[in-house]
Amino acid sequence: MDIKTEVRNFLIDNFMMGLDPGELADRDSLLDKGIVDSTGVLELVGFLEENFEIKIEDEDLIPENLDSVDKIVAYVNKKQS
Amino acid sequence: MLVHQFLETNAEAYSYREALVHLEGRINYIDLERAANRLANFLIGSGVRPGDRVGILLDSSINYVISYFAVLKAGGVVVALNTATTSRIIKSVLSDCSASTLIVHKQYAHFLKDIIDDLESLETLIIDGHYEKLGRKKTLKAENFFNIQLDANPQRPSVSISPGDLASIIYTSGTTGNPKGVMLSHRNLEANTDSIVEYLNLTCEDKVMAILPFFYSYGNSLLLTHIRVGGCLVIDSRFAYPNVILELMSREKVTGFSGVPSTFAILMHKSRINDYRWEHLRYLTQAGGPMTPALTLKIMEAIPHVKIYVMYGQTEASARLSYLEPDRLLEKIGSIGKAIPGVTLTVKDESGNVCPPGVTGEIVAQGDNIMPGYWNQPQETAKVLKEDGLRTGDLARIDDDGYFYIVSRKSDMIKSGAHRISPKEIEEILAEHSDVVESAVIGVPDKILGENIKAVIVLKAGSKTTERDILRHCRINLPAFKVPKIVEFRESLPKTSSGKIKKHVLVEEHVE
Repeated sequence: MDIKTEVRNFLIDNFMMGLDPGELADRDSLLDKGIVDSTGVLELVGFLEENFEIKIEDEDLIPENLDSVDKIVAYVNKKQS
Repeated sequence: MLVHQFLETNAEAYSYREALVHLEGRINYIDLERAANRLANFLIGSGVRPGDRVGILLDSSINYVISYFAVLKAGGVVVALNTATTSRIIKSVLSDCSASTLIVHKQYAHFLKDIIDDLESLETLIIDGHYEKLGRKKTLKAENFFNIQLDANPQRPSVSISPGDLASIIYTSGTTGNPKGVMLSHRNLEANTDSIVEYLNLTCEDKVMAILPFFYSYGNSLLLTHIRVGGCLVIDSRFAYPNVILELMSREKVTGFSGVPSTFAILMHKSRINDYRWEHLRYLTQAGGPMTPALTLKIMEAIPHVKIYVMYGQTEASARLSYLEPDRLLEKIGSIGKAIPGVTLTVKDESGNVCPPGVTGEIVAQGDNIMPGYWNQPQETAKVLKEDGLRTGDLARIDDDGYFYIVSRKSDMIKSGAHRISPKEIEEILAEHSDVVESAVIGVPDKILGENIKAVIVLKAGSKTTERDILRHCRINLPAFKVPKIVEFRESLPKTSSGKIKKHVLVEEHVE
């Protein structure tokens, strides 16, 4: 499974239960869409660290890295390279 | 003074001082006043009369503040709704208070699609942004927020209301599961605002970082205290990214920051708070549940020059009931302090006698900030408003110096992050699942949130229902913050001889 599919599946399974997955475009802001809140971001961080074997530093907790599927994929790719 | 006169007074005294800073822009007092007047004049023209309820379904923003003061200027009663919501909750609240008007952001307008025809009292809808898919209801007038700001009269309207009239109804999760509307008059809000201003020593030089939602009483008190003194609010609800907020606080040179225990837990464990010098930060306030002494000490260590105010209150008291002076924080750690100016707090036993120091009883509060009651619920009101004041439901003792220490809460409300959550409401939703026989919802300790929601469920014999099925059912019917984080299936629940579920047994399993 590629990174994008894994991230999408995680978001859909954990934060969008019962909602239409089609409503989440890869560029959508997860905050503006009300998909994650402050604890949701921490859960997302835990998932990314465990699943992709990366360490997310506190200074990386910014929307530019984590606030959409596309941004998360780019961030994970950068950390893994 | 009436609450909207806070703004009117400062639009004259501090016309060109900045009142609000938000991603969408900055606005000074005179422009805020004129914008609120425009909307107020529109509301009056569309039929809002003194005492009419007007719903606001907006995130904390400049338009929220314009709407809040406009409703009051029109003589209306603000009913601010939590934006983490469902169609079902909106229908229940707007029907309960028979709101005639709703101001809604386009982002939340979709909640109305299936219920708009059921909202019988709703006559006018004001949409912040562009949204076309509504308006099936023939009698409904719809208008765009922006157009009102272009067209309406900016002169201050003249409406006759008095301090005893209602200003706001704040809905809280009731212990019965049905939301209860806490009625607050102009006098209630003014008394509490002035008291908070006094003990925090707020002035027009103060600038607070407002991450707390304005629809809760804590956020509402931030709004009112700063508008009262001619100060400034920096509004940003993206605390999910604490470093973004810290950077903004530093750039804007804020003097104050307010949070709940989970806010401070995130700041101390997951942010770059130690990378800044915080020269402009004067104070922090903490309310919304108990913060562990360990966390308090950690904050004191990180920013030793900043005053920390531990506070306690209830929506039924407009917001605030007590505070602990920062100078005595170490000496009295764990205490909620003493009554704020204008409030009397006592600890009483079940017969109504005042408890001596060291003896636990219920906190009873008196003051001009105490609500006149719950909207349309005289029986619920009578349970908490007695001759000697408001029964808070919180059990506490005082020490020999008169400082209050909360021992436990009488009700089984769960405090998770900034939210008070009724277990009953979640149990009612679980009961609607065809395979659930019974359930008990409890709060279990969580390092960041304070408490997490756990559902212990008994399923029908042979049921194939999974945890995921339960969570999906909850997510469809409840806002995200009310969905249980932990689900456990059991054969049976512990019960008393009369058949009542012994929740304390389930709670004790999680005591470390």
